[in-house]
Amino acid sequence: MATYSLANEQRLRALEDIEREICAILQNAGTVILELSKEKTKEQLLHRQAAAFTASVQHVEAELSAQIRYLTQVATGQPHEGSSYSSSKDCQMALQRVDYARLKLSDVARTCEQMLEN
Amino acid sequence: MAQQRALPQSKETLLQSYNKRLKDDIKSMMDNFTEIIKTAKIEDETQVSRATQGEQDNYEMHVRASNIVRAGESLMKLVSDLKQFLILNDFPSVNEAIDQRNQQLRALQEECDRKLTALRDEVSIDLYELEEEYYSSRYQ
Repeated sequence: MATYSLANEQRLRALEDIEREICAILQNAGTVILELSKEKTKEQLLHRQAAAFTASVQHVEAELSAQIRYLTQVATGQPHEGSSYSSSKDCQMALQRVDYARLKLSDVARTCEQMLEN
Repeated sequence: MAQQRALPQSKETLLQSYNKRLKDDIKSMMDNFTEIIKTAKIEDETQVSRATQGEQDNYEMHVRASNIVRAGESLMKLVSDLKQFLILNDFPSVNEAIDQRNQQLRALQEECDRKLTALRDEVSIDLYELEEEYYSSRYQ
C-alpha cells in the first residue's frame, strides 16, 4: 500500500526525530567527556552540554514511552485482513472498457477513411 | 481459540519487552554518564599510586563510554522495531489508508463510466447519420 494516512506518517516522522535526537545525545556526551579531558575546562560549556544530555535523554524516554503506550492500545495481535482488491478490480475493468471503446472507435474511423478514399 | 489467545499474549509480551529495553538503555546511559563525570574528579588520597589510579580511571572511562554507545545503538534498534510494529499493527492508520485507496479507485471508475456514457450518447447520434448515409449509398 503506497499511501499511508497522515497520522501514521506523523508518528513515523516523530520516530525519525527521536533517532536524530539519540545521535545528538551521543554527541553531547562526547563533547562533555572531551571537555573534561582538557586542562582548562570551560565550565559553562560543560554545564550546558550536560544539561542538554540529560534533557534529551528524558525527552527520548518520554516520547518512546508514549509511542509504546499508543501501540499497546491499538495492537490487536491479529493480522489485518482488509484490502482494496475489489475496488481495484472494478477500476481495472472500467479502464478495460475505456480501452475497448477506444479500439472500436478507431475501427470506425479507419472504416470511414477507407470509404472516403474509395 | 487457544491459538487466538496465544497471539495477543505474544504481542503484549513484545510490547513489554520494548518497555524493558527502553528503561534499561536509558538507565545504562544515565548511570554510565554519571559515573564518568564522577571518575573525572581527581582524588587527593588514593589507595594505589597515582599512575595506577590514572590507568584504572582511563580503562573505566573507556568501558563506560562504550556502554553509552552500546545503549545508544540499542535504542536505535528499538526505534527501528517500533517503526516496523507501527506499520504492521497500527490498524486505525491501515484502515484509513485502505479507505482512501478505495475512494480514489471508485472515483476513477465513476469518472471512466461517466465519460463512456457521454461518449456513447455522442457516438449514437453520429452513428445514426452514418447509417443513413450507408443505407442510402450504393455500398449497401
